Amino acid sequence: MGVMRIGHASIKVMDMAVAVKHYENVIGMKVVHTDPNGNVYLKCWDEWDKYSLILSPSDRAGLNHVAYKVEHDADLDVLQQRIETYGSKTEMLPVATLPFVGRMLKFNLPSGHEMRLFQQKEVVGTDVGSTNPDPWPDGLKGAGAHWLDHCLLMCPLDPEKGINTVADNCKFMKEVLGFHLSEQAVVGPGGSIQIAAFLFCTTKPHDIAFVGAPTMGLHHVSFFLDSWADILKAGDVMAKNRVKIDVAPTRHGITRGETIYFFDPSGNRNETFAGLGYLAQPDRPVTTWTEDSIGRGIFYHHGEATESFTTVYT
Amino acid sequence: MSPSAHVPRSMSARTVSPCSVTLRQTGETYVCAAGETLLQGMLKLGRRGIPVGCVNGGCGVCKVKVMRGRCLKVGAVSRQHVTAEEEARGVTLACRAAPQTDVEVEVIGKMQRGFVNLIVGSGPAAG
Ligand code: FES
Ligand SMILES: [Fe+2]
Repeated sequence: MGVMRIGHASIKVMDMAVAVKHYENVIGMKVVHTDPNGNVYLKCWDEWDKYSLILSPSDRAGLNHVAYKVEHDADLDVLQQRIETYGSKTEMLPVATLPFVGRMLKFNLPSGHEMRLFQQKEVVGTDVGSTNPDPWPDGLKGAGAHWLDHCLLMCPLDPEKGINTVADNCKFMKEVLGFHLSEQAVVGPGGSIQIAAFLFCTTKPHDIAFVGAPTMGLHHVSFFLDSWADILKAGDVMAKNRVKIDVAPTRHGITRGETIYFFDPSGNRNETFAGLGYLAQPDRPVTTWTEDSIGRGIFYHHGEATESFTTVYT
Repeated sequence: MSPSAHVPRSMSARTVSPCSVTLRQTGETYVCAAGETLLQGMLKLGRRGIPVGCVNGGCGVCKVKVMRGRCLKVGAVSRQHVTAEEEARGVTLACRAAPQTDVEVEVIGKMQRGFVNLIVGSGPAAG
């Protein structure tokens, strides 16, 4: 019961043709649908639901909304009640507000980001099927990402004014949506200010993450790969395609993930992320990164976060 | 010797010649090859002065105002960061502007010194 996993992200792009080429040729997704408003829907090969990414034409970059999938239709009613009781407004969007998707519960996180929950999305199966499947399909393009893995949202934080929507979001996700905190970064006297929170609802180290920033925004959407070798190959794919790489292949201390950060043609940051890290469980002690070690938490080898990584987002 | 010295300046009327870029605040100057954006030219030469982010017109950190000379817009510029009125006044993103003449630009974009960055940023906080 409750939230199972990330379902899709809807992001704004400024040039649809080049955006589609990027998500096809670099990430390795396939276009599954285009709606009359010009929104393009894409899917990774190892996902079984119809799509996990919506590109919507816009005059700017950034996130429209992120959606998570719940297990039972009735969960939507239960969670609507809980969210309202917590003090946030909700709206139940009718069936087919998005193509191939059932009713959706829409609300805003304390940080302001729009989140939606749904239970039904057309199931089309993975590219290898479910009967005697091969481990991977032929004809994969680019990095050949398995699935949309998580997103990281930039959340307004201003300790002097007593604003910390990282902590507010963390509390909301735990108490209302049933997520669990796997890792956090804290600063200030006695580590009293939570400036980053990594939460899970599956058994991976994170399904969503929040980091403090001056304004609300999208830091990145992340796509899953198996291994370090796949990360290096993804780096080659990016170089071939002249993709702007933000952070070359390295490892996170947080989540233990192997990573590359790069930008899509509208400047939205993407990540290819490899490794399941560890078994995330509700009773696993929360990992805490302290002020003197946050750089190592973010980029374990280099030990420092690059300026663009901490300050550039859409 | 600068590679641009070898580019014949009289090749064709249609070919834009390399253009010199001056950053007003620092007085830094560099040369953009024909067709290069202000940001590409700076990055290629390993120079500094304009903040670098997505290099794709979306994040807004490379915001500049063209004070003298003319630039060609070479891609979408996020309206979240440059309004239509600003654009009419010569404000643009350095990663989307290719100089057509020698230009002087004022750097407007600043790396936002976010809270996380104050803690983990490798350099001293810039004014
Ligand atoms: S570097 Fe991001 S808009 Fe120019
Ligand atoms: Fe990530």
